[in-house]
Amino acid sequence: MAKLPTPHELMASRKDFPAGSWLDVKPEFAPGSFCYPAKVETMERLHMPHPHEWDPAAEDWNLPDNWEKILCDAFEERLEKHRSLKLFMDICVRCGACADKCHFFLGTNDPKNMPVLRAELLRSLYRRDYTMLGKLLGVSVGARGWDKSVVKELFYYAYQCTECRRCSLFCPYGIDTAEITAIVRELLHEVGLGTHWIMDPVKNCSFTGNHLGIQPHSFVEIVEMLADDCETITGIRPKTPFNEKGHEILFITPSGDVFADPGIYTFMGYLLLFHELDLDYTFSTYASEGGNFGSFVSFNMAKKLNAKMYAEAERLGAKWILGGECGHMWRVVNQYMATYNGPAPSCMMDVPTSPITGTRFENAASTKMVHIAEFTADLIRNNKITLDPSRNDHIITTFHDSCNPARAMGLLEEPRYVLKAVCNNFVEMPENTIREQTFCCGSGSGLNTEEIMELRMRAGMPRGNALRYVQQKYDVNHMACVCAIDRATLTPLANYWAPGVTVSGLHELVGNALVMKGEQKRTMDLRQEDLPNVDPDEPEDDAEQGEE
Amino acid sequence: MKIHDIFRPQKEAVISKWIEAVYATYPLETTGFLRTRKDPFTNPVGDMTHEAAGRLFDAVSGEDTDPVTVRQAIDRFVRLRAVQKMTPSQAIGVFFLLKPIMREQLLPLCTGDRARAAYLNAESRLDSIVLLAFDMYTEARETLAESRITEIRSQCAQVVRWAQTVDGSPVSGKS
Repeated sequence: MAKLPTPHELMASRKDFPAGSWLDVKPEFAPGSFCYPAKVETMERLHMPHPHEWDPAAEDWNLPDNWEKILCDAFEERLEKHRSLKLFMDICVRCGACADKCHFFLGTNDPKNMPVLRAELLRSLYRRDYTMLGKLLGVSVGARGWDKSVVKELFYYAYQCTECRRCSLFCPYGIDTAEITAIVRELLHEVGLGTHWIMDPVKNCSFTGNHLGIQPHSFVEIVEMLADDCETITGIRPKTPFNEKGHEILFITPSGDVFADPGIYTFMGYLLLFHELDLDYTFSTYASEGGNFGSFVSFNMAKKLNAKMYAEAERLGAKWILGGECGHMWRVVNQYMATYNGPAPSCMMDVPTSPITGTRFENAASTKMVHIAEFTADLIRNNKITLDPSRNDHIITTFHDSCNPARAMGLLEEPRYVLKAVCNNFVEMPENTIREQTFCCGSGSGLNTEEIMELRMRAGMPRGNALRYVQQKYDVNHMACVCAIDRATLTPLANYWAPGVTVSGLHELVGNALVMKGEQKRTMDLRQEDLPNVDPDEPEDDAEQGEE
Repeated sequence: MKIHDIFRPQKEAVISKWIEAVYATYPLETTGFLRTRKDPFTNPVGDMTHEAAGRLFDAVSGEDTDPVTVRQAIDRFVRLRAVQKMTPSQAIGVFFLLKPIMREQLLPLCTGDRARAAYLNAESRLDSIVLLAFDMYTEARETLAESRITEIRSQCAQVVRWAQTVDGSPVSGKS
C-alpha cells in the first residue's frame, strides 16, 4: 500500500548536491510558463520559414527533417554577419556579475535565468563547433551538440528574457545578452518556431499598419472618439489631422495608445497638448504603429516594419518625426534604424527644431526623431504652456524608467522634469531599481500576453517589490511611465504586488494639468473621474485659468 | 515560565533553520545567492523570506498573534509563492517545514505538563497560520485570474467601444 507523503516530501526539498549537471536539468513546459505558438496561416502569410503546427507542451514539436542542419547553418550565417555575436560567444569569462541582475532570475530563482547561463545555452553549442578545446574535449569543457531537447530549452529561456539589458549594465565586457536572446529567437524562427502574441501583431502591422489590424477609416474614427472625450472634459475639441501633406511634424506613437486602457488617456494628453500649441503636425494611418514587434522576431522583420516611418515622413513631406511614449520603438530608432533604413529622407531638416521654442534637438540630428518627453520638457523650460499641477494633487506618484528609453537612449531626466512640473508629489523608488538600473515590467519583448500572466508576475516581482516599498513608506498611489507595454502590463503587476497603485503615461498627467485657452472649468480628469477638491457649482477663478 | 520565555532565546536558531529549509526548495545554484545577498531589492526573495520568518516565529510563540500583522508580514512571501512554479501544496506547505524544527529545537525544552500543553498550542497556532496563508494564496490566484480577464478587455477596450457605434448609435459613457 502506498504511503502518504510527509510534508517534507511534498515540499520536494532537493538533495544537498544534485546528481546531474545544471545543463542536464530540462525545463518543464507547464501551462502558464510558455506563450502560445504562432498560427500556421500567419507564418505562411509572412513567408516565414517552415510554418507548421506544433504545441510547446507536446513531446514532438514537428520540426522539419533537417532541423539540425538548418540551425547550424543559420547560426554560422549570423556569426559571420554579426561580429558582436562572435565576440559575445568568445569573451564571457563567467564572472557572474550579471547573474543576480536579471528580474527573471530574481523572480523565478531558476539558475538558467541567470543571464550568463541563459547565454551559455547557446555558447555551449558554439563551443562544440567553433573552439578547439570544445571540439577536442566536448562536455568536459562545457561544449554540447544540438538535440531536440536543446531546441526546446532555447525556446523556453529565449522567451524568459525581455531583452531589457539590465544585465549588460553590470557586465565588465559589455556583453549585450539581449542581442544573444534576439539571435536565439531568430534561429528558432528558422525552424518555424514563433509565438502567436508576437507574430499576430507583426502580420497586422505588415498588412494594415498597426498591431490590432485596424483599418485606416476605423483608426481615424477611434481617434475622433477620443477627441470627443477631450471635448467632454475640457470643452475644447482638439483637431485630429490625418495623412495631411505639408505639415512640419509627423507624429508616431504605439497603437496601444489608441486602442487600450489606460494608454488612451495618454493619447488624449497628446491631443490636448498639440491643440493648445496649435502644432503643425499630422498623424498617419499607414505609420500608425510606433511599436515594432518585428524586432522580437528577426533583423529583417524589424527592418521591414520600421521602414514605414521614413517612408511616410517622405510621402507627407514632414521635416521631422515626433515620437510618442513607447519603449522598444526608441531602442529600434536609436540603435538600429540608421542601419535598417537610413539615412533619413532628404526632405527632412538637418536638426529637428521645435517650432514653439526654437530649440534644436541636436541629439536627434541623425534619426530626425524627437521623444515627446524631450519636446514637452523643452516647452516647460521655456514657459510655453500653462500648468496647474494642483489638479494632480490627489496623486503621489513615482516614476518607472522603461528599460529601452532609459538604457537604450539615456532618457532619464526629461520625464522626471515634466512629471515634477505637472505633479506636486513625486517620490523616487530605491536607487538600485531606477534610472539605468531600472527593473523591467517583466512583460517586454513580446511577453505581454495573458497566457503567461503568472510568469509575468514573478518576472515583474522586483519592480512590484520596489513599488510596494514606496507605497508603504511614502503612500505612493500612482506610477507614471513612458512606454505603452508598461502602461498595459504594470497595471496588473501593480494590482498584484501593490494593490491601490494606478498606472498612467506621462502625458495623461500633462493633459490633466494643462491649462488651455478657453477651456471650461475642469471638474474631472482625463479618465472622466471627478477631481477631488473641485466644486462643480463654484464659478471658476479667471486669474487661475490663464488667458480666456 | 511562559512559553515565549522558552521560545524567545531560540528564535534566531529556529528561524535560520526554517529559512534554510525554504531556500532548499530552490535549485542548489540559486541558494548561495539567496543566502548571501542582503539588500532587499537585490535579493527580494531572501528579504521576503526573512520578513515572513521573524513574524511567523513571533506568532507561533504567542508573542504577537494579531492576524492583521501576521497577514502583512507573510503577504509578499505568499504572493511570491503563488506565482512561482510550484504546486499549491509546495507553495503553502512550506510553513509546515517549521514543525520538525520546532520539535527538534523547542519541544525538548518544554518539560512538564503545562509547558507541553503550551507547546501544543504553539503548533496549533502554526496550523492556523497555514490556513490563513491558504486563504491569501487563493486570493492571489484569483487576482491572477481576474487580471487575465481584465487585460483581455483592456487591450482593445476602445475598439469595442467604437464597434458599438458602428450602427450609428451614439457613444454612451465610457468603455
